[in-house]
Amino acid sequence: MSTTEQRFVPVPFDPEVAPIVEAMGAAPAMSLESILASRGETGSPFGDPAELVKGLPITLEDRVIPGPAGAPDLEITILTPSDLTPGEALPALYNIHGGGMVVGHRSWETGRLLDLMSRHRVVCVNVEYRLAPEDPYPAGAEDVYAGFVWTHANAASLGIDPEKIVVMGGSAGGGFTAAVALMARDRRGPVMAGQLLLCPMIDNTGTTVSAQQYRGLGTWTREANDLAWTCVLGEELAFSTDALEYAAPSRATDLSGLPAAFIEVGAAETFRDEDVEYASRIWAVGGRAELHVWDGGCHGFDMYAPEARISRAALDARDSWLRRVWA
Amino acid sequence: MSGNARDHLAAPPYDPQLTDALSWFKATFEPIPLLPGNIQENRDIVAAITPTLAAAMERHDGVVSSERVAVGPRGEIELTVVEPVVRTEAARPAALVIHGGGLVLGDRFFAAGEAIGLTERYGAVAVLVEYRRAPEFPGTAPVEDCHAALTWIAEHAAELHLDPERLVVTGFSAGGGLSAGVALMARDLGGPRLAGQLLGCPMLDDRDATVSTRQYDGIGVWDRTNNRTAWSAVLGEEPRGEVSPYAAPARATDLSGLPPAFVDVGGAEVFRDEAIDYASRIWAAGGSAELHVWDGGFHGFAGFAPEAWASRASAVATDSWWRRVLRLDGAGPALVPAEEGAVALGGDAAVGTGAGAGADVGAAAAPPVAGPSAPGGEAARGGDAAPSGIA
Repeated sequence: MSTTEQRFVPVPFDPEVAPIVEAMGAAPAMSLESILASRGETGSPFGDPAELVKGLPITLEDRVIPGPAGAPDLEITILTPSDLTPGEALPALYNIHGGGMVVGHRSWETGRLLDLMSRHRVVCVNVEYRLAPEDPYPAGAEDVYAGFVWTHANAASLGIDPEKIVVMGGSAGGGFTAAVALMARDRRGPVMAGQLLLCPMIDNTGTTVSAQQYRGLGTWTREANDLAWTCVLGEELAFSTDALEYAAPSRATDLSGLPAAFIEVGAAETFRDEDVEYASRIWAVGGRAELHVWDGGCHGFDMYAPEARISRAALDARDSWLRRVWA
Repeated sequence: MSGNARDHLAAPPYDPQLTDALSWFKATFEPIPLLPGNIQENRDIVAAITPTLAAAMERHDGVVSSERVAVGPRGEIELTVVEPVVRTEAARPAALVIHGGGLVLGDRFFAAGEAIGLTERYGAVAVLVEYRRAPEFPGTAPVEDCHAALTWIAEHAAELHLDPERLVVTGFSAGGGLSAGVALMARDLGGPRLAGQLLGCPMLDDRDATVSTRQYDGIGVWDRTNNRTAWSAVLGEEPRGEVSPYAAPARATDLSGLPPAFVDVGGAEVFRDEAIDYASRIWAAGGSAELHVWDGGFHGFAGFAPEAWASRASAVATDSWWRRVLRLDGAGPALVPAEEGAVALGGDAAVGTGAGAGADVGAAAAPPVAGPSAPGGEAARGGDAAPSGIA
């Protein structure tokens, strides 16, 4: 192991995932220009929500709710089983979408929620938030926190049991989920039943081994990640340990007193090591966490390769954990 | 790290569905702490509750066994070959199944349940190995016997009608640590090529230096005291000089070039942190590994409380990995049916991310399974559902 190249040999992709990563590698890399150009785009690469729920016994409702004090309103989409009866109070998933805190839209993750609705009788609240660089930290974090507080406060009218709200998200949404858990603890806000972190983006420093292994490789490269953190935190704090913990939850020095965490990540991606470390630090202070690192999984493997065996097995693990935190 | 230093670190709590089984495990397998002076007494306890091979094989009509002998560096090694009654035309996958017991307790039949399961689920030929135990045979003696058994399997591939490209080493607790050691030896000594290594709640590190070992000191099963006693039986008292990585795989400095690993461990046990570290170091070297750490799981929980939700999910993840490394198609075990009132997506995989729709484990294809009952029922008490072994 004498050269730098040899030191950062990446973990190979799962055979069912590799062809998908390869096909996506042909797409142009993310740039500041492409981020800003995407603002006008509509439509989800993962299917239109209305089309996805068509014919299913699900009611889809778009709403606008108040944002943080002094900030714009928030758009949310609520997915409810159509046969919800008055007075029924279901467990809920409050979902925060991914996209590096710089791109993406809640509509992209409708499928991820439907998969869970196919296994659990739940209400889903899918939130939109302000993106960087136009709206850097703390805009997005405060938006998603406000949405969580609103969901909890309005649980009764939504058919939600306020004690059974799980906050979830993938990638940037996973990072935001971890941040909402920290904020709710520190601000004595509503108590969530659990935090479901899918390949969460939590460490801005880029210092782990896995952050070195996926330079120019995979569905969320080191380069994309560096750009995203720069958009969120600005040049000065982008990779600094002085970044605030609600922006980059790995910066939190105290991980005690948090709700039960579920942390899932692919073994073949940038965020692997920071996510493993976050779980380890929760256990080290006696907290509850569950960790699943799927062999050969790229970033967001469940969305890019939904039929791969690791994606199906990952869904089973999520399903199991949700049953346990809602028991 | 003096033996009596108790740090009283706050420890993650146990999953409430697992606490009955934990109590049962403690009362049955570990009524007394393992100490240097009572290893034989503990062996007697484990021996008394380990089902005989005949008992383990009852009601498994599709499986037969035969007794064989390999020769290792210290002489003969007893093997039990478990295989399907019906011999398929295609060459069969094979597994070396290494029992647990902290390197000091238990015999090969302790892992009979795992061997039978591999034969029934995957059509595998599973070989149980009677390795020499510490303290009578310390250091690398146990792992060298296991490696000799692996060599024996490879040499008998034709006779056993095995596919040498689908040979896996597996074990729980000490058997997991020995599996890791066998994989290291096979790599370094040019031994048989392995398709995978399953490290179930593996005993990898003799140094007793992790947070999790301090958290489960006097708490739970296979606690810090038991673990320290066992390692001292294998490697002598601390401080230790150079320790072979084959005996304590966490000591290995090079984890490159290893077969794909499956690492599964409880979040509430001594071995949590060393298991995570081992997987992390395989990844750092560019190797394949899968890691599952179960919230509130005690050491060996999945075998002792098979009906608990965490245990079922662990079984599903484990099955998924076996099918991937053995390149098998087909459905694994169902987790549990969808909850009542959940939205039926229909049989078409076009909905959702697709991950749920059309999945093999979907509720529609699944036999009805009751919700988790109180652990500690018949299934959890040995017999055919016996755990693959503890420490």
